[in-house]
Amino acid sequence: MNSYLMIWLLLIVPVAAACLAVLQKSARVALRIALVGVGIELCLGLAIAKRVFSSGAATAGAEWLRLDALGAYNLVVMLVVYFLSSVYALFYFGREIDAGKLVANRARMFAGLWCGALGAMTLVFVSNNLGIMWVGIEATTLLTAPLISVHVTRESLEAMWKYILICSVGVAFAFMGTLLVAAGARSMGIESEHILFWTELCRNASVLDPAFVKAGFVFLLVGYGTKAGLAPMHNWLPDAHSQAPTPVSAIFSGFMLNAALYCVMRYVPVVESVPGLKGWSSSLLILLGIVSILVAAVFILSQHDLKRLLAYHSVEHMGIITLGLGLGGLGTFAALFHTLNHSLCKTVAFFTAGRLGQACGTHNMSRLSGSMRLSIVWGGGLFCSILVLIGIAPFAIFMSEFQILKAAADNQAIVVAALFLVGCGIVFVGALGHAMPLAWGDPGDARLALPARRAEAAIVFLPLAALLVLGLWMPASFKHALAAAADVIKQAGAVPADSMFSIAR
Amino acid sequence: MFSRPEQKGENGTNERLDFAVLSRRTSRETMSVELILTVVVLTNLRLLGASRLGACIRTVGLQGLLLGLLPLATGGRLTTLHVVVLAVGSMVLKGFVFPRLLFWALREAHVTREVEPFIGYTGSLLIGGFMLGGAVWLGDRLVIGGTTDLSWVVAVAMFSILTGLFLIVARKRAIHQVLGFLVMENGIYIFGIGAIPGIPLLVELGLLLDIFVAVFVMGIAVYHINREFDHMETDKLDVLRG
Repeated sequence: MNSYLMIWLLLIVPVAAACLAVLQKSARVALRIALVGVGIELCLGLAIAKRVFSSGAATAGAEWLRLDALGAYNLVVMLVVYFLSSVYALFYFGREIDAGKLVANRARMFAGLWCGALGAMTLVFVSNNLGIMWVGIEATTLLTAPLISVHVTRESLEAMWKYILICSVGVAFAFMGTLLVAAGARSMGIESEHILFWTELCRNASVLDPAFVKAGFVFLLVGYGTKAGLAPMHNWLPDAHSQAPTPVSAIFSGFMLNAALYCVMRYVPVVESVPGLKGWSSSLLILLGIVSILVAAVFILSQHDLKRLLAYHSVEHMGIITLGLGLGGLGTFAALFHTLNHSLCKTVAFFTAGRLGQACGTHNMSRLSGSMRLSIVWGGGLFCSILVLIGIAPFAIFMSEFQILKAAADNQAIVVAALFLVGCGIVFVGALGHAMPLAWGDPGDARLALPARRAEAAIVFLPLAALLVLGLWMPASFKHALAAAADVIKQAGAVPADSMFSIAR
Repeated sequence: MFSRPEQKGENGTNERLDFAVLSRRTSRETMSVELILTVVVLTNLRLLGASRLGACIRTVGLQGLLLGLLPLATGGRLTTLHVVVLAVGSMVLKGFVFPRLLFWALREAHVTREVEPFIGYTGSLLIGGFMLGGAVWLGDRLVIGGTTDLSWVVAVAMFSILTGLFLIVARKRAIHQVLGFLVMENGIYIFGIGAIPGIPLLVELGLLLDIFVAVFVMGIAVYHINREFDHMETDKLDVLRG
């Protein structure tokens, strides 16, 4: 199969799966179709990513669609998270259907929107036109908003309203930014149809109008930053994450935030190569990253709700990725590595938290204490994933955070490094303080043991094992793929990918 | 966005293909564009001062209709299929579909009047005056394509965006916030139409579709909020915090 066809298939499969799932009578069949659709998409994504990493970017549709190393890397991370969440959703909603808590048409709606959102996110990664990329991001907002209130309750409606309003306004800002960049690109002297093509903007960055690009990037950062949950635009995030059904929270935290951040990544090389703007966007990114880390750290200390705690962890980790991106060089590489680590780990954390919450009927941490006694898979998995999230060595999150710290030291950004360490330190202490009683506390009343299927144990412990392996040893092909993705964000050239690994050991 | 004129612009570049170049040629086009933009400013001011939700929805509908005419007015005799598709699409959506949807939500919610907004109507109008002044100042400063011909377009676009944002933060009713979102999108649309001729049709249609779905989903949300809470005042959505 040629790559031209594969890119189109990547877009068609989710839409087809969504249509099929909506048409089913039975809720379970709809959920299975969603799983199969995501599975096919995962195979396709892996196949095309392999091709992109070995022989360069693939294009389709007269260059309107283009998948390069950066897009392919993000696509694969997304599909892995999506697949894990789909498996989890099958079990999670299966139990709710058995208990009569989920009626068939809500389940169908979930399956349809679930696949639709996958299609929209895929569109973000394969579009070469920055306008179409924006359309994809806005479409994910709209398709995922009803997913928050699969169960219509007051809290879920409130969360959905905040989500759709704040994110829509934020993403509208991003469109304004896109328009401003386009206004600054009028001096490129190319056909107007191609004015928003990322490849053209990169090629002609030196003739862009700096004033417009500058104004545009501020709008873009605020707009996409809102969707990515960067502080101080993060207000919608804890509500949406805590109220959505767990598979949806996992996707929100595990990948939707990264998709928005990916859009910022697309603009960074363009802005950095505009004359007179070298280093300007980096300092903004560093500022926003540090603010996010510190704000999240403060809120993590005072959380009572388990899913809100995890949501604030997302704010922190998005801040870390943004910080790495701003530092450039090794930082860019580490930021991309961190994307994978955070997505895998956060997905598992939500899986376990969601199952415990479903069984106990609450996400209040004081009432979930002693979860290890309830179930070694869910309670133990939750404890492990929180440990990994806060950066315990030798897991992969520790490695990527360490590399970002090293990137800060390389740039002689001592204040940044210190603030980063302070933020991570507060998070470490705060989250550990929550996690200990959660695992070993007194359960209070005797509760039934919580069985877990073998497949469920697999989706909890396999990602954690993968993170352990990645922390200790990085396969050469994976390192190559990461370096290729980081090279797309051009700043990466400064430090060769090999040297820092030897130092980090 | 507009069809490109065959002949080159006055200073030899064919990059500035916006209606500023065209409008210098035919005063009738300039007049119709300026008329539309001026009415848009008036609708914004009316939105800031009106308390009845029905009147607000109608005003936003009128604004949508006017904006649909904008590409036709600027295109003049160079009207192409692209411009017509865009104009008709946005007029039908913003002028008829959205108001109907919002009136439906309004009927379900049994409310007609905004209850004591955070900022009163006189105060809102006063702030609107300041925003207009600021927008005009910004329009004069933002030089696009080497000319200041577009300053009025940029000013109206900025004023609409500011009005929309103001409505979102200063009003309590959920429907008012949807209207604010629409006005803000209208402002961005004016900026896109007026200042950047190069946005391809596909992107614009995507934008239009997204706004459509956004208003649709928001309408449904308003309906559900009303059913669950027996009101649609967003300041009372305060269970989730911290």
